[in-house]
Amino acid sequence: MNATACYCENSMTQESTEIARGLRRRDPDLLDRLIEQYQHRLLRYLVYLTGRRELAEDLFQETWIRVLERGHQFNDKYAFSTWLFAVARNLTIDHMRRSQPASLDGLLNDDEAPIDIPATGQASAFDMTLQREQNEQIVAGMQHLPAEYREALVLRFQEGMSLEEIAGVARVPLGTVKSRIYRGLSALEPWLKGAAL
Amino acid sequence: METCGSCRTFAENAREAVRALRAISIAAERSLVSTTQMRVRRRALELQRQSERRWLVSVSCIAVTLCALLSAAALWRGFEWLGARAQLAPLIWQVGFFVFCVTPALVAGVLLLARDTHLADHTGSYEG
Repeated sequence: MNATACYCENSMTQESTEIARGLRRRDPDLLDRLIEQYQHRLLRYLVYLTGRRELAEDLFQETWIRVLERGHQFNDKYAFSTWLFAVARNLTIDHMRRSQPASLDGLLNDDEAPIDIPATGQASAFDMTLQREQNEQIVAGMQHLPAEYREALVLRFQEGMSLEEIAGVARVPLGTVKSRIYRGLSALEPWLKGAAL
Repeated sequence: METCGSCRTFAENAREAVRALRAISIAAERSLVSTTQMRVRRRALELQRQSERRWLVSVSCIAVTLCALLSAAALWRGFEWLGARAQLAPLIWQVGFFVFCVTPALVAGVLLLARDTHLADHTGSYEG
């Protein structure tokens, strides 16, 4: 078990080292590969963070340009995804500051159109409809959460990041991440009940 | 957990919320990915050109500085020799050396200013 964990850790470190080396060289082939690899994860994170698909797509492109320009700053001691999400997060905050002087709190706007997320599934039509309704409720619930909670939930349950990694991305203490996840889940409860009705 | 009813309810709700969250999928479109790759490649090319230019400018600066140092030393000696031959006070040939060294930069500055004024007059970009 320990040997497996050690092997995984080594291969992750090796991968990070290779990525760091490629980023320092600004290797376009490596960047192409990384864009392919992280396309859905990054876009999903940005869509939840901003609540707007169009803005998320713009920031998606800007994030990769920033990765190219600041690639030499990537520390191969950490996972690439953690750094990538941190870059995307900083760009989002910069964007929000430019458009309105606020932090991530500014991303919470109840009057905006709901997050446009097409649900997918391969179950029966009834199951799909039911699932879709529940997803819509959850998406609506997510939209009403403060951006910090939304971010923590997405990183934890959709990206499968560890609490330490989330703390690294959001640059907050571990305890804050835990409380954001707890509060986020608590805040989603009424929406979940609404979905079950 | 077994004795705490509210904790159990919370855990069940949380599990349900997590399951629902995981069921939602967002996919990036092909066009977005290819546009991003294209933009990144273009920017990479720009950065490469910039760094090549910067390298060229740095090398040129170093070469010019070295040449200037060498030629200044030689010129100093030359002016000193001329001053001695013409029996001039040291201050005079030193001022002569200074003027000789500074003149090319002054001429270049005046020419550049003149060119800018000429361009402004003809394009009207600086008209008030």
